[in-house]
Amino acid sequence: MRDVAARRGAIMRNPAFWGVIAIAALLAINVIKDPSYLSIGYNGETGRLSGNLVDILRAAAPILMIAVGMCLVVATSGIDLSVGSIMVVAGAVSMELLSGMDGSTGNAALTLAVALGIATALGAVNGILVSVVGLQPFISTLVMMLAGRGIAKVITGGQNTTADNDSFAWLANGYVAGIPVVFLLAMAIVALVWLLVRRSALGLMLEAIGMDSRASRLAGVKRRNLQLTVYSVSGLLAGVAGVFATASVMTVDVSRTGYQLELDAILAVVIGGTSLAGGKFSIGGAVIGGLLIATLDKTVVFLGIPASATPAFKAIVIVVLCLLQSERVRSLFRHRRALRAQSQKEAVAA
Amino acid sequence: MRSNARIARAFAAAGALTLALTACGGGDDDTSASGDGGDEVVTVGFVAVGPEGGWRQANEANVQDTFTEEAGFELKYAPATNLDQRSQIDAFTSFVDEGVDVILLSATEGAGWEDSLRRAQEAEIPVILVDRGIEPDDTDLYVTRIAPDNYEVSTSVAEWAVAAFPDGGNYFVLEGPAGVSVVNERNQGWDDAVGSAANLVKIGAQTANWSTEEAKSVFETVLRANNNDIQIVFAQNDEMGLGAAIAVEEAGLTPGVDVQIATIDGTKPALEALSEGRLSFVAEYNPLFGETLLDVVGQVLDGEEVEPYIVVPSETFDSPEAATAALPTRKY
Repeated sequence: MRDVAARRGAIMRNPAFWGVIAIAALLAINVIKDPSYLSIGYNGETGRLSGNLVDILRAAAPILMIAVGMCLVVATSGIDLSVGSIMVVAGAVSMELLSGMDGSTGNAALTLAVALGIATALGAVNGILVSVVGLQPFISTLVMMLAGRGIAKVITGGQNTTADNDSFAWLANGYVAGIPVVFLLAMAIVALVWLLVRRSALGLMLEAIGMDSRASRLAGVKRRNLQLTVYSVSGLLAGVAGVFATASVMTVDVSRTGYQLELDAILAVVIGGTSLAGGKFSIGGAVIGGLLIATLDKTVVFLGIPASATPAFKAIVIVVLCLLQSERVRSLFRHRRALRAQSQKEAVAA
Repeated sequence: MRSNARIARAFAAAGALTLALTACGGGDDDTSASGDGGDEVVTVGFVAVGPEGGWRQANEANVQDTFTEEAGFELKYAPATNLDQRSQIDAFTSFVDEGVDVILLSATEGAGWEDSLRRAQEAEIPVILVDRGIEPDDTDLYVTRIAPDNYEVSTSVAEWAVAAFPDGGNYFVLEGPAGVSVVNERNQGWDDAVGSAANLVKIGAQTANWSTEEAKSVFETVLRANNNDIQIVFAQNDEMGLGAAIAVEEAGLTPGVDVQIATIDGTKPALEALSEGRLSFVAEYNPLFGETLLDVVGQVLDGEEVEPYIVVPSETFDSPEAATAALPTRKY
């Protein structure tokens, strides 16, 4: 009996659990509006699955990428504010290259490699500023956040650029076995990162740096290399997100692509139970956080909430979720319930 | 723990400062030539929007090409940082402090300009609004506003919709960001003209922030929420219309047949899409009014009275043929 209660308590204490509850609640609201919301259709002609859930998975893919990168950075008690800007750089590089080439698959692969390479390099610059130069992560990545969008504008000459390449667009819009390619790729990358950090000592070392960087160094953890790696990986994943975002419409919008998505990424990470103080992280939690944000965005549109009320609606959902996650708020509720039960008992006794 | 919070706050302040500095940077770049105090050269401060889309690009390039050194002007171009109003206000203030001869303002957001405009008035610097208006629209605060009329342009889209759907239909509106004057005016023009046609039913309206990517994502969900039962899309700019067209195609429908999309702006990609039949109606919102602006600046500096609102005429394109004919000479 006590065992079950303890386990239930442990689940309740897991912030990601409340993220799942929030997703379920949002989906339930949508189902109330339209009972067929969750149904997934299969189009025999194109061999694709279609439905609102499929749309959510597709919309979540770019957020998952930057959230996972952010999660690793936050684990070392850093922060990466530049992910949105690195997204637009990757998108600008891709569109600019593709618009000057014919639409062959080889060109798409080449473009992908160059875009991701540049994104990784920008991430590495962050990493060098933080690990070698020793700047605060907040400032280093803030500089990159401002510079990145400037770089994107220089690359495209300040223009929104469009291109045509079916193979490149397939990355974001294609289907394999009826499932969107973009989601399969995102999950594969998430799984790979999870295996790397959780099936080796890497994750522990990142957490050690986040907890106490001096102690970890005394224990033989190579802080410098690891930080460099983590920021580079975050840049690379932001590059992937940028490719996903621009390939879906084959247009890069220099002032809008990835704009303020660093905030979504941080939110996803925090919802997933990763402390911004560092020293502890949960990739699974970040994935749930990313899915929640995508669900929230889609729900707002599905319910037809007026544009002016959208930010307020989102804020309310997030605030309620954070309150539920807070140990203190929950214990307050428990306490009051216990008090009430006791006073009832006393009333009966009297 | 507390000291951590303080440090974080300090860095946040530093970040804001960096933003402000970069915003001013745009305006300061070209100042080197001034300062000789010559009366012949008129300094013009242009508080601009910056990269936003094809339309803005054409408009601002046109202004920059008009106020050249050969024409006797020194144009200081200050685009906003990521469409941020704060950076525009900073640029505006620094133009007032520098004492330029005239300020051109394309506000990213309509509200919140009163104090800045009053400062310019105290410094006796005339302000001309380019394209975007301010809210509340207090004509005492500026000399004149030059723009194509949003209300008229969106009315022309609505008239097309009423004529093209005599049997009625369901429509959806893709808006720009909430609170921008353009969005309010385009909504009003559309609503006033469509309101009289009772058989056109509004399914809803959502913002897609002028962006193709967001418009695609929004409209894909809207189609699902309404079982594809939408016949007309009113996209308030070309980029969003093109995003809606992609969403329609991915839903297995044919744009132009199952869903007809009307957009405002008239950029090249939109006219190309219209000539291919992916869009159904494009209303131009003419960005090339540098010449008119030049005349007005001259009049204002000579102390002449000008109308508080000068409308720039715009065209509409309602068929693939019209678009194909217009494409070769399209400048933006």
